[in-house]
Parts: sequence; C-alpha cells; structure tokens
Amino acid sequence: MSERKSRRTIRLGLGAAGLAILGYGLAGLPSQLGPAQLLGLVTWMAVAILLHDGVLVPLSTAAGFGLTRAGSKLQPASAAVLRGALLTGALVTLLALLLLKAQSVARKSTVLESDYATNLAWFWAVLAVVAVVAVVLLERRGRRGRSRRPR
Amino acid sequence: MHKRDGRQLTEWLAAKFASPTRSTRLTVVVGRWLGIAFTVCFLTGLFSHGLQNPPAWMVFPTRPVWIYQLSQGIHVTAGIASIPLLLAKLWSVYPELLSWPPIKSVAHGLERASIALFVGSSLLQVTTGLINTYKWYPWPFPFRETHYWLAWVIWGSLLLHIAIKLPAISAHWSRRTRGSALANPDATGTTDAAEVEVGTGGPGPGRWSRRALLTAVTAATGAVVVTTAGQSFAWLAPLNLFAPRRMGTGPQGVPVNRTAADANVADAAMSPAWALLVSSGSVDRSFTLEQLKAMPQYSHELPIACVEGWSQLATWRGVRVRDLLATVGASPESDLRVTSLEPEGAYRIMSMPAEYARDDQTLVALELNGRVLDLDHGYPARIIAPGRPGVLQTKWLQSVEVL
Repeated sequence: MSERKSRRTIRLGLGAAGLAILGYGLAGLPSQLGPAQLLGLVTWMAVAILLHDGVLVPLSTAAGFGLTRAGSKLQPASAAVLRGALLTGALVTLLALLLLKAQSVARKSTVLESDYATNLAWFWAVLAVVAVVAVVLLERRGRRGRSRRPR
Repeated sequence: MHKRDGRQLTEWLAAKFASPTRSTRLTVVVGRWLGIAFTVCFLTGLFSHGLQNPPAWMVFPTRPVWIYQLSQGIHVTAGIASIPLLLAKLWSVYPELLSWPPIKSVAHGLERASIALFVGSSLLQVTTGLINTYKWYPWPFPFRETHYWLAWVIWGSLLLHIAIKLPAISAHWSRRTRGSALANPDATGTTDAAEVEVGTGGPGPGRWSRRALLTAVTAATGAVVVTTAGQSFAWLAPLNLFAPRRMGTGPQGVPVNRTAADANVADAAMSPAWALLVSSGSVDRSFTLEQLKAMPQYSHELPIACVEGWSQLATWRGVRVRDLLATVGASPESDLRVTSLEPEGAYRIMSMPAEYARDDQTLVALELNGRVLDLDHGYPARIIAPGRPGVLQTKWLQSVEVL
C-alpha cells in the first residue's frame, strides 16, 4: 500500500516536472520566433509526422512483407541477418542521401568534402559481402544440423 | 455509422501493420536507450548553450582543455545515434496510432496531443540537428533558438511520458519482471512466446525475434555512429565515410567554418597598417604585428571544436592574453570584450569571461602548426582559448578591451 502510494508520488512528481519543463520550452519559442517562423515550425513538425507515419513506416512495412516471404525459405538466423543488413543499409543510405542533397546546395570550403556517393557504394559493398558470407555460413550450418537431426 | 467505418478501417490497417515482433518489452528496451541518448543530448546541449549565452551563475571550465571538444562531440554523436533509436521506438508503437476511437476522453485526448508534440518535435529536432551540421538551412525558422527551446519541450515531454507510462515500463523493465515473463496478449501479438521459440525454430517463418531486431537496431546505430563520429574523435577518423567534416583538411590541416571571403575581411586583415588595440579604462595601447612577435611567445596544443561537432587538435603559438593585459595595467582576472575586423556577423564581438582571460593557455595566436596563420584562420592574429566553442575563438582581431 505504501509502495503504491510512493509510486504514485513519483509519477505525479515526474509528470509535474515534465509539464513544467515542457511548458518552459513552449513559452520560450515565441520569445525568439516571430509568428511566421512559428507557423513554419508547426508546419515542419506536422510534415515530419506525416512523412514518418504516412510514408516511412508503410514503406518499411511493405519491405517487411517481402522479407517475410523471402526469408521463409531461410534459416531464422540468416533471415535475421538479411533483415539487419537491409535495415542498416537503408538507414545509412538515408543519411548519405541527405548529405548528397546538402552537398548540392553547399557553399563552404571545408565542409562536405568527401565523395559520399562513392563512400555509400563502398559501404553497401562491404555490407553485402558480410551479409552474404554470414547467410551462407548460417545456412550451411543449419542444413548440416538438420541432416544430423532430421525432424 | 461513421464511427463503425472508422473502427473497421483502423482495425483493417492495424492488421496490415501487425507484427509479432512488436511488444511492450521491445518498446521499453528501445525507449530506455533513446531516453538516455536524449538526456545526454539535452545536458551537453545545455552546456554548449551556457558557454555561448551564459547565465549569471555559469561556470566556465578550462580543464581538461578538450572538455568542449568532448561534450560537443558527444552531443552530435548521441544525436545521430538517436535517429535509428527513435525510428525503432516509433515503429514499436505504431499500432497505437491506429487505436479507435482516436480520443476516448479529455485526458486521453490530452495524452495523445502531448505524444504528437513529443513525436513531432523529436523527429524535427534530430533531422534539423543533423542537417545543420551540413551547414544547410532549408527551414523557415532560426536553427539555434528553435533547437534550444525544442530541447526543453522534448525533455519535458520525455519526463511526462515516463510518468504516464510508468506502470508499463516497470512491468517490462527486465525480462524477469512480471509483465514480461507472462505471455502478453494484445492487439500486436505476443513476442514473449515467440522468443521462447527462438531456439527451436524462431518466431515464425521469415520473421525475426525481438532479440534479432534489437541486435539489428544496435548494428544500425553502431554503423551511423562509427561512420560519422570520426569528425569528432580522432581514433574513428579512418572510418569517417558520412560526416560533413574530415580531420586534417583545410588550410594548415585545420578545417574552416567562416572564410575571410565569407567575412569580407581580407583587405583589413592584410593591411600593413594593422595593429591590435588593447585598452583598459583610460589606458590604450596599440601593438603592430612586429611588436606582438617581439613579446614572449607561448606554444600550446589546443583543439578547435565547433558546435557542429567537428574538432581538430592543433599547435597554436602566440602571446598570452594575460601578458597583453599586464601591458595596460589590467588584472588577469578581467572580463574582456574582443572585437574582430569583420564588418558584420553574429560573432564579431565576443565576450571573454575572466576564467579564460587569466588562463595560461589562452593566446592571441600568430602561428598555427608552425607557420604564420592562414588568412582563413584569422591572420594576422586570433584568439584561441581552452574549452570554448569555435565561434568564440575570434579571428582577425581588432581590439581587446577590459570591461
């Protein structure tokens, strides 16, 4: 009973502190941003949510369907390696695409100097080799295991 | 009628998006990492902000000399790491978005509104934070101010979110706690049962287990960190594939943010009539470059570390600021105003608290890595102080005034 009470106190305290800090931030924004900038901020936030919830997650879910189908012929471990490699590659690609876009509009002398497209190609090459080797080894081990203990 | 259609639609969608890999336990595990990353970003960010816009009680640590290099390197790296963690966290709770009815009560409506604010500001914060390090500003609001206030909004929302979800968090805190040990039947399926199956054939053909997903998220986070953190940490420099900066580039092997051309300062800086004005009260003294060179010279290895996360260790040589203050009879314990030759710019005038002015390693640098300062590095003379953001290491000096 007293534990429940103290947990309730912690929750209330945390919630109140959170609300106060959040409110401080919300109150601070209009002190330095004009109405047009605030409107721009809210619009960008809404677009960020829409892009994430409406594009990124559905796309990754669609990719997941394909992977479930493709992976069903593989050992669970190698199917997981395949998914993990694609997840990593997709994320790094997203980052590199932002860099390439920024590079096309950049004007600074010692910023964005690398050849990111080539680096991305190298990254995918290494990732593919690592993933393929891991999948082949896991599949071979899995098949050997299955032939030893037939189910 | 409408209500039923809405429910049918969201239930159909929820079924489409269902994955047995989702579970409260997964959300708690990823949420913990994300909460730590956000908190690290918040604290290092407050430190950086305090150095640039100091409140009256601000402390200015000058040792270790790489303190800002470290704190800002961590800030940017933790921010980059939080991108995959945020995406994984949001994916794990995606079906919540489709819950019906969308608002059950006033309290529920408020909670959803607070979540929308939390999610929207977090997505915006990590994306604009990353793109800002590319020196690209495609948005219609000022970056620094927005980043600062949103940080409060996000961290406050984080505490509020933890308070609201505390029962679920503590029930799934460890694999052995009650909520996680029991099967967890909900709309998204049960992964705890799935995990038990891992040894005997996995969570279903072609699917992956929670552990496998967590391993992949860790790998993806590791990949973005390892391929970008080389701009902040020298030992990772060989793997720097996707950071906007590379160590050792730029004139004299040091990157440049603002060139002499950007600052429109070349003529004034190259003028043979240039002299550094040092003043304290009614005492004024002017030092030509030759006179500065004739003073005792000190050499220090100090990093230049930018708010954008990149940093570079370099050898600086020049006159100690405290020695210059002595020539006008000022105490080394003086707050200073340092002005650049730049005709305009947000950092043309820089305030230097006494903690830096009195420091043995704070220099009016005339040389960088053994050679006369390059024009883009602040020729004829610039400030270099331990533990300060790069924008406060004023280049192309015009005057140093005791306040």
